[in-house]
Amino acid sequence: MNKERETAVKPLTRGFLKILGDEKRQSISIPLFAILLSILAGAIVILLFGKNPITAFLSFLQGSGILPKPDYAAKKSMLTDLLSMINMLTPMIFAALAVAVALKTGLFNIGVSGQMLVAGFVASVTVGYSALPAAIAMPLVLIVGLVCGGAVGALIGWLKHRFNINEVVASIMLNYIFQYVISFLINTYYVNQVSRQSQPVSAAARLTLVDVQAFGLKMDIPLAFLLTIPTALLVLFLLNRTRLGYELKIVGLNRRAAKYAGINVGKSMVSSMAISGALAGLAGVTLYLGYYNSIQPRVLTSVGFDSIAVCLLGNSHPIGILFSSLLITVISKGSNYMSSMMNIPQEIAQVITGLILLFSACGAYIKYRVSQAREELSDVKPKTGKASKAEGGDKA
Amino acid sequence: MDEYIVEMRHITKRFPGIVANDDVSIAVKKGEIFALLGENGAGKSTLMSMLFGMYEPDEGEILIRGEKVHITSPAHATALSIGMVHQHFKLVENYTITENIVLGQEPPKRFLGLLPAVDIKGSNKKISELSKRYGLEVDPTKKIEDINVSTRQRVEILKMLYREAEILIFDEPTAVLTPQEIDFLLDIIRELRNSGKTIILITHKLEEIKKVADRCAILCRGKLVGVMDVAATSTKAMANLMVGREVSFTLDKNPAKFGAELLNISNLSVKNQDGLTVVKNISFSIRSGEIFAIAGVSGNGQTEVADAIMGLMPVSGGTVMLGGKNITNLSVRERTLAGISYIPEDRQEVGLVLDFTLADNLALKEYFKEPFCKNGVLQSEAFDDYGNKLAEEYDIRSGQGIKTVVRSMSGGNQQKAIIAREIDLGSGLMIFVQPTRGLDIGAIENIHRQILAQRDEGKAILLISLELDEIIGLADTIGVMYSGEMLNIAPAETLSAHQVGEYMMGVKAV
Repeated sequence: MNKERETAVKPLTRGFLKILGDEKRQSISIPLFAILLSILAGAIVILLFGKNPITAFLSFLQGSGILPKPDYAAKKSMLTDLLSMINMLTPMIFAALAVAVALKTGLFNIGVSGQMLVAGFVASVTVGYSALPAAIAMPLVLIVGLVCGGAVGALIGWLKHRFNINEVVASIMLNYIFQYVISFLINTYYVNQVSRQSQPVSAAARLTLVDVQAFGLKMDIPLAFLLTIPTALLVLFLLNRTRLGYELKIVGLNRRAAKYAGINVGKSMVSSMAISGALAGLAGVTLYLGYYNSIQPRVLTSVGFDSIAVCLLGNSHPIGILFSSLLITVISKGSNYMSSMMNIPQEIAQVITGLILLFSACGAYIKYRVSQAREELSDVKPKTGKASKAEGGDKA
Repeated sequence: MDEYIVEMRHITKRFPGIVANDDVSIAVKKGEIFALLGENGAGKSTLMSMLFGMYEPDEGEILIRGEKVHITSPAHATALSIGMVHQHFKLVENYTITENIVLGQEPPKRFLGLLPAVDIKGSNKKISELSKRYGLEVDPTKKIEDINVSTRQRVEILKMLYREAEILIFDEPTAVLTPQEIDFLLDIIRELRNSGKTIILITHKLEEIKKVADRCAILCRGKLVGVMDVAATSTKAMANLMVGREVSFTLDKNPAKFGAELLNISNLSVKNQDGLTVVKNISFSIRSGEIFAIAGVSGNGQTEVADAIMGLMPVSGGTVMLGGKNITNLSVRERTLAGISYIPEDRQEVGLVLDFTLADNLALKEYFKEPFCKNGVLQSEAFDDYGNKLAEEYDIRSGQGIKTVVRSMSGGNQQKAIIAREIDLGSGLMIFVQPTRGLDIGAIENIHRQILAQRDEGKAILLISLELDEIIGLADTIGVMYSGEMLNIAPAETLSAHQVGEYMMGVKAV
């Protein structure tokens, strides 16, 4: 009797289920539905300010270099805007992939930001402040990022396996520890007196080439972006075609069956978190030694948290994540331009970004409800129940 | 025509790839016990789901008390005074019996004349009266988590009666009960009929139908094959109609040819997660070519013995020897490779990954070996070939072949998949825990034949079952467990079912 309200499968729900299609189609149709909802919500907010939502959304695209702006400052063009957006997109993709790998094993890596910070900090002090030439420094930065992030991830997985500490709790607490220890180290040893941030890393170690002069423009070239698509494909391959991926997925879907099949569940959880952490490490170095060249003490980047929503919006699928990362980055990058063009306060632009993230997480909720409704439809053993109104099913 | 309280005319219901009900017509008289008999997947539950408003039929019509109705939801069905007891109970564990029964229809009152509250005291009284009236005595203030399965079932029945249901549907009500509890339930069902209720009983157990039902409709692969007067029909005739072929009730068991001792358990003790000793110092051995069956009432440590042998539960004392090798401290994977196959009790939560395809599940124990995996990369062709091979050899049926997600397969075919996989491992020791639970006669017969075939091939077999008939029919040696102890081990031919039953109750403690 406890599930009474869900038992009445209404015709409206059925029609809705039909539109969303079968499971395969749902993986695309549900995120699209979530995006649609978020655009609608954003449009309402913009309308409340008495502005035209269509121009506002176009200015999002203009601000991130997808559409041309009416005019550009010297040495700027659509290309420079686009590259700048891609610069911001790179860490987001890695971070969302990190969340996805853990999620497949049934683990929730909410510590991506902390892992990014550790990777970025260690890479900065070891390679970033050295005099190594770019050809050595850049690969080294990536490797340090992978290793440091992976080590933190593995630690969280090990804590879960060895002491049964929930990974969410461990991640959040470690986030705090890293945030404050690293800010202490920066303020004590590496602070730049002018910017109050850590000393900037050498240009050779920075993964983004800054202010490159070409075609009469001055642009930033995010080299690490070249790695994002191969990494996404690699993660896809890992999950779908390798023995490790098969084991991780079984552990994620049914831990008892995994144990029964002879899989070392603890080892799988540690491996999964290590891989997730390593990807977060890549996100960290591409953020702190790419998009930025320094670390602001006592601040945990929001990329690691936004990436959770991005991952869910992309259906935790590596290819889906490429698209969802793009969408979210376009919006957050375009929000500056939108606010100045539309004369909407910057904060409101942030609210709209937040709304979109909110609704993208709601995609997971929609999916959950849909699968629940579906299960009820296909459940051979139906559930008992009596809703307060007997004619509840006749509406719509 | 108005003597019929329920009429379902020319009902057809299709699901993707399958016709669950094909032009089925039944009519139930007021005040009778009407049984629906059929194998798993024959369409019994689907038919009743439509009566209870879970699905709507694609074709055909439903008449309740002579009036044509469209039942759109269980709520609607309840309003038409139709009630249903599901095979898996729908109760809130940490609520009391009363709270569960009134849930959704709580009698309101005002606390201090102001705050809305639920009149629990009044409800307790009402439930208590209701339970006495129908001989379903329960203590309304007890929590669900503290009461046993048969009492929970009573709560489900009371829930229907509280809602004043006139048409009561029971879905496989005896699947979870012991023989004594079954008799008691059948009495209750009779009692309910005598007080004027109409009962529809879904089951695949023939004896129950013979005992209580007035009439019986038999479904086979979605089609109605006959409606008969139970008193005038033999059990055998019903079974043949249900399966669609001749069924042999007796098993052809070859004389045993025992080989060398394969499994040796000595002084085994197992503690559960709460630190309680659930298996106490038991010893036994199994030879190749022998079926060793452990009988016992559910929850007396039998499954823990199996889990300890497989390595799924840690051993707190004693040794497990397989083929002369001490395997007590090996991992599950190492034991699998050493030659143990395990058909677990919980096929959906342990034996299968429900969201994986059939092919992926069939390779669950061997995926890491060649040809399935080369240098850490899975070979999908090998998965497909192996899946197709097993699906054909063991007649595993599914909507979309080996690409079917196992969740959507019927229980019988899920079990076939597990058994196919475990037999094909070629292990010397095979552990079957409750291999036929919830399956229909055809599937049970098939599994029994496979178990005997494995024994004749010289495998050592450990069979753990709650079905006494199954144990008596298959075992060469019977051990009875009671409260974590092995009370008696004896050759099967020296024990009668009655004696085993006594040991199971702990009566004949040694």
